[in-house]
Amino acid sequence: MFDTLRDLCLLNGISGDEDSIREYIISRISDKCECKIDNLGNIIALKKGIKTPQNKVLLSAHMDEVGLIVKYINDDGSLKVESVGGVDPGVVFGRQVTVGKNNTDGVIGGVAIHNLSIDERDKAVPFDKLTVDIGAKNRDEAEKAVSLGESVYFKSDFTEFGDGFIKSKAIDDRFGCALLLELIESELEYDTYFTFVVQEEIGLRGAAAAAYTVNPDYAIVIEATTAADIPLSEGEKSVCKCKSGPVVSFMDKSTVYNKELYNLAFETAKENNIPCQTKTMIAGGNDAGAIHISRGGVKTLAVSVPCRYIHSPSCVANKKDMINSLELVKSILIKLYDRQ
Amino acid sequence: MEKKELIDILFKLTQQNGVSGDEFCASKTAAAELEKYTSDVTVDDFGNVIANIGKREKGKPHIMLDAHIDEIGFIVTYITDEGFLKISNCGGTDRRLLLAQQVEVLCSDGQRIYGVTTSTPPHLETDEKKAPKLDDVFIDIGLSKEEAEKMVSLGDRVIISNEPCPLLDDRVTSKCLDDRAGVLTLIQTLEILKNDFESLNCSLSVVLSSQEETGERGAKTAAYKVNPDMAIAVDVSFARVEGDKKYTCGEMGKGPMIGVSPSLSKDMSNRFIQIAKTEKIPYQIEVMGGTTGTNADAIGVTRGGVKTVTVSIPLKYMHTPVEVISISDIENSARLIAEFLRKGAEADV
Repeated sequence: MFDTLRDLCLLNGISGDEDSIREYIISRISDKCECKIDNLGNIIALKKGIKTPQNKVLLSAHMDEVGLIVKYINDDGSLKVESVGGVDPGVVFGRQVTVGKNNTDGVIGGVAIHNLSIDERDKAVPFDKLTVDIGAKNRDEAEKAVSLGESVYFKSDFTEFGDGFIKSKAIDDRFGCALLLELIESELEYDTYFTFVVQEEIGLRGAAAAAYTVNPDYAIVIEATTAADIPLSEGEKSVCKCKSGPVVSFMDKSTVYNKELYNLAFETAKENNIPCQTKTMIAGGNDAGAIHISRGGVKTLAVSVPCRYIHSPSCVANKKDMINSLELVKSILIKLYDRQ
Repeated sequence: MEKKELIDILFKLTQQNGVSGDEFCASKTAAAELEKYTSDVTVDDFGNVIANIGKREKGKPHIMLDAHIDEIGFIVTYITDEGFLKISNCGGTDRRLLLAQQVEVLCSDGQRIYGVTTSTPPHLETDEKKAPKLDDVFIDIGLSKEEAEKMVSLGDRVIISNEPCPLLDDRVTSKCLDDRAGVLTLIQTLEILKNDFESLNCSLSVVLSSQEETGERGAKTAAYKVNPDMAIAVDVSFARVEGDKKYTCGEMGKGPMIGVSPSLSKDMSNRFIQIAKTEKIPYQIEVMGGTTGTNADAIGVTRGGVKTVTVSIPLKYMHTPVEVISISDIENSARLIAEFLRKGAEADV
């Protein structure tokens, strides 16, 4: 799973521009599933088992990652950008990026701190004070390399460090994609639906369409979720903790989760000796928000890996939590197929 | 040297770490480059690299060429119960960019430990319009306190890690172009002059000084030792970016910025400007109202006083891990300094 995760994290695909992720996934599953790509670019896949279950069960992960988009080219050749998905400008300032289909290298900079007033030095930098510099001398030179509307990706290597931690961009939600691929490449007894969806980061848009098409009875969303187990955010403020197992929440900003499935998740974790935790703040949201209200309503659960510094070029998550997430999802899955 | 060779050396220099007070790796690499031009290269106790060229004689001015070898970074001051590292500044890193940065802890045993600076998620921010305080930022190395203490010692330096990268045209980005760009300029100056050392009407000490970022301390001690008649401090200065005032910055790609300031030698500034005009080397004038914020401030008041000038390379995004320069500015700075040493360096003019 970690080799797949590395492959997926190093590919670039911000919301609305997920082609390279889709191609990679299709190349991995096209011989194992009935695959279809819908009008939005979602992959809808059915992996046949030896049995057809009573319930249609869907597993879903999103392919897109957060990033930036080029909206203007200044006279001096620098680029103005806006965020795609929730990106704090403070986590992109002072970093290298890749721009557009030509993979043009660039950096994100602004006025040097020495040249700011004391007041300004204390403020976080907003996007309108930042520019992407690709080294162009003027607008003409920049236009030869970059077009308006092109994506700007974080440049960040995939590194393992500390006690089983991974640092990379886009763990949200290439982890989910990697877990789904792991399941597709394993033996599944029952027919199972998988969706790899687009545009989660800009409002759970791909999942809404894909869930309509699949029309499942049960759905599990595989995600990465904010962990703030860092100094200065103690108690409930840490939300969830790395190395404490997959996260199953009772409520977030987009979903009040089905109580039956919430309880099932914790029971299953206990039976299988898998650590599992819930979130201690009502925060964040994921594709469950769109799936659970699809058509007449779908019983939906989200299983997430705790992830520090999410939506930054340096997301940090632990391999143990990833393995435990996979084990938990497998164990829950077999209970859903013929659940009354 | 060709542009490509200059870039190769520059990247070699910037990939070595040399946070103030711990410049050894960077000094060693830079010293090896200087050894191509003279066998008289030493690294002193303070971490300064001093390379002497030409025989020091009465009537011939002795000129100190300075660029600082140190770079900004952090120093580990504490390990928390959870195994996170608390840090303090070594020089003035821009704290607005400190969130979720990839860093390396440079351990005293030579090991490098990978880490990420902590970043509080937006939904927990008390005031998200404020830049983070250094006090609120920790380094996550993914280890327990016990494990962390086995590998990290208080006082270890930390850098924001970043690979150098060429951009369009002849522009490049890297960490610590402040002031490895200056170091490269001095290397290129020697390259231009290498066949003329004998005929120069001056003797030289190239000083790659330590601890500029923490208060110009290396240059102070090195200048005392070198005891020059004149000094040229080569550092970086601001190239204009969007949002800058026109009159506070130079422009990238428009050549060296010659310093003019009450604290600098007016005579040397004028001679540099004259030489740039005669030799048709593009240049810009950088006027500073008092002191310069470079090693020139310390060198100028060494012993009984040293005539000093600054030659600065325009640089964007100073004190970030993604500083940007144009190689042409390094080439032109080196040409200018070389021409000065050839023609303009007569004693007591």
